[in-house]
Amino acid sequence: MSTTSQKHRNFVSEPMADKPVTALAGIGDRLGHSLTEQGYDKAYVVLGQFLLLRKDTELFCYWLKDVTAANSKQADDCAQCLKDWCDAFL
Amino acid sequence: FFSSPKMASTQLTDEELFSQLKCFGYTPGPVTENTRPVYLKKLKKFRETGAPRPVKHDVRRLSSGRRPGLKSSVLGFSSDESDAETPLKRKGLDHMKRPSRSPHLQQQQLKIRAATPLNEANKKQYGVGTALKSNSFPNPDGQTSASLGWETGKRYMHDPESRDEDVSDEEVQNSHPVNGRSAARLNTSKLAGEYSDSDEEEVGGPGGPERDRRSLELRRIYTSGPFASHVDDGGSRIGGKNCALNPLGNRAMAGGREEFEERGKKGDLDASGGLRSHMLPRKPIYLSLGEDHQSKTGENNHINREEGASGSNMASIALRPRYRGSYSPTLSPQGGYSNHSSVPNHAYGPGTQKKKPTAPEDELLLQFKREEQPSSGSFSAHYLSMFLLTAACLFFLLLGLMYIRMRGSGSPAGDGVIKSHPFGSNFDSSYSKTEKDVILKLLLSLHDHLAIVAGHHDCGEQQYASRSLSREQVTQYLLAQDGDFKDFIDVSLEWIIRAGQDVGIRLSGELADDLVTDVSEISWLESTHPRMPFTCRFRRALLTVMNKVLVVAVVVGLVCSVICYVKYRWRREEEETRQMYDMVERIIDVLRTHGEACQENRDLEPYLPIPHVRDSLVQPQDRRKMKKVWERAVKFLSANESRIRTETQQIKGADFMVWRWIQPPLSSDKSKMWQGKAFPLDRRNSPPNSLTPCLKIRNMFDPDMEVGDSWDLAIQEAILEKCSDNDGIVHISVDKNSKEGCVYVKCLSAEHSGKAFKALHGSWFDGKLVTVKYLRLDRYHQRFPQAQGCSAPLKASSLHQTPAPCPLQHGGPNSSGFS
Repeated sequence: MSTTSQKHRNFVSEPMADKPVTALAGIGDRLGHSLTEQGYDKAYVVLGQFLLLRKDTELFCYWLKDVTAANSKQADDCAQCLKDWCDAFL
Repeated sequence: FFSSPKMASTQLTDEELFSQLKCFGYTPGPVTENTRPVYLKKLKKFRETGAPRPVKHDVRRLSSGRRPGLKSSVLGFSSDESDAETPLKRKGLDHMKRPSRSPHLQQQQLKIRAATPLNEANKKQYGVGTALKSNSFPNPDGQTSASLGWETGKRYMHDPESRDEDVSDEEVQNSHPVNGRSAARLNTSKLAGEYSDSDEEEVGGPGGPERDRRSLELRRIYTSGPFASHVDDGGSRIGGKNCALNPLGNRAMAGGREEFEERGKKGDLDASGGLRSHMLPRKPIYLSLGEDHQSKTGENNHINREEGASGSNMASIALRPRYRGSYSPTLSPQGGYSNHSSVPNHAYGPGTQKKKPTAPEDELLLQFKREEQPSSGSFSAHYLSMFLLTAACLFFLLLGLMYIRMRGSGSPAGDGVIKSHPFGSNFDSSYSKTEKDVILKLLLSLHDHLAIVAGHHDCGEQQYASRSLSREQVTQYLLAQDGDFKDFIDVSLEWIIRAGQDVGIRLSGELADDLVTDVSEISWLESTHPRMPFTCRFRRALLTVMNKVLVVAVVVGLVCSVICYVKYRWRREEEETRQMYDMVERIIDVLRTHGEACQENRDLEPYLPIPHVRDSLVQPQDRRKMKKVWERAVKFLSANESRIRTETQQIKGADFMVWRWIQPPLSSDKSKMWQGKAFPLDRRNSPPNSLTPCLKIRNMFDPDMEVGDSWDLAIQEAILEKCSDNDGIVHISVDKNSKEGCVYVKCLSAEHSGKAFKALHGSWFDGKLVTVKYLRLDRYHQRFPQAQGCSAPLKASSLHQTPAPCPLQHGGPNSSGFS
């Protein structure tokens, strides 16, 4: 049984192209807003950060929690979403 | 961003960070401005746990458990745990100037967060079970000391040589460059880490009153901590020095309790001398604490000693194994310390006294570490040894008593016979003194002799075949004793007869138990107070005691064995029941999946034969063992499970008992269902009358979790269905983006909205509790201008949907785009 959300499935199902950062699983309006403010306006920019951290979900979670007011679940969801996307497309 | 407790983070360049991370066997990505804080945090984690991946959950749990009181400064802290509060607080944070990112708050928050992984790491690493009662530390103190540390840390960066002993609480303005700031943060986080470590560890120590002093202490120590770290010039040497430098560092860190300044100066010099304890500076700090205590032993009052105990406590907890080597000898001297405290302290108390300031510290810490670990075990060991001791004492006591009793029973009247005789005053008057003496002496020797004979006889010695002596033997013996006795034998015997009380000699006639009344009838004399030799007595006493103990032990053993057996049986029962339930669950799962598969695939039969289920769940080698469990499970299912029906079916010509999965009506999560009311609506939870015709319904859905394109339609349908008796709903709007799952409804009149309110408020929908509130009509129209024109009631689309003049009404499915 899959425990991923629909957002996750939507994101991982296709190349992210120019999707906004709110398309990431776990990133809703609020987080998306705060990420955009810091310059991470597109999902691929966040992907870039994820890759910089060598696709380490744990580090990515730390980073995301620092940069935004994400809680653990949101950060985990986002990291997992990116990881799955990388597994599929990278 | 927060930073690691590594000292002198100003000097920690990217390359160094990179290489250090590599030392832990971890390959980091590029260290850039963005990734730097993350890697610093990682480095810190490595330092504490040595493992590449410390458990995050523990961190969170730990941090959520601790410090419930730190509110204002712990903004980031709570964000780790709870969704609800964080957004508000974090929002506040985010709205501050982003570039400057209010340093104090952030740092505090960061430091707290840094602290928590530290704490967790420590906790895990040292396994301190007893002392971790984090909540007990007073929060204001904690805050103050943390901020203090931060300030002083910052100051250190400016001017390493001048230790500012002032402790002021004002907010420090961050005027450093980024590096400096991060260094400050590093310090604070480190301090906070240390602080919180001491928090968690020292709590095991004495109670409240000493806390203030301790917090003062800690403050000092913290100030010394970063100072030392800064003094270290580029010392990014992990691993390396320890003991040799720690004493120095200890003295440095003993920025002590009351005499801050002088200690501080001392600490200055010493720290600059080369404290390279890159390892958690906690250690030297705690060492110094301990040392401080020892040096002040004379003047310290009990509280101080207590603190010393806790300080050394902390030190021991904080130390790594390499410190173990040297501390054992010093721990013994401190005997009577802190006896009033709890047992863990008791264990530590004896250890905190130290003779020499420097070298014994290691041993002390070693001993602490040793003592600390077995402390929980020694608790019971202590009791066990006490128990054994008391048992042994009791045994010997019993033995002694037995002995005395034997002896007492055998003790002769002794000289008393001579002095005081039981013959009465007649005796005295009848005879002269010498005669009296002779008679009495005779009687005494007779008595003794008889006693010895009886005693020996009783002890089983062969030479005395019988307990009693014949008269001839007695006469012989007495004559042998003393010639004078001859005349007085009969007299004394007569007196014995005449004596009212037992003189220790029993006279009997020809037959054993005859009562003699005359001297001539006496043929046997026997002692009633046998006197046994010492060994005999001891042996008998021992035997008696052992017999009794044995009996008691046997009884106790029987009782224990019965209890154990009963417990064993009970446990076995439980185990079997658990297995049975486990099996039942597995069966249900199998049947459910089969049922679902049947729904999709019409070719499958909707039932499963029982033996097939069993064979698929239980391995062949286990079938025999699980037979009993399986039988019970089957019985349980047939009796207690409503979703599974047992029936007999013919499968390929053979009759089988099968299980049929009966799909429960509400198990489908595809359709959104109303699931009943949570509470009855009364005056308490709903307004007495409906106020406006507009309603806002909350918690109907979760926007992140919605599947499909038209889920909003489903929501609308659901609402309409729920209010199907209500003809007054003219406009519905599902706010797709609202995270609260809001739906806006307008009704024809307040009365209709009231009806809808009653129908919707407090109901369960799709597993969520729906709440309704009234909205102002003008606001509603502001938001949904098209709703102003709606006046025709909406109906669920399963029924015929009436056309309405509302412009966007007809496209029902698309009307949700309003918000």
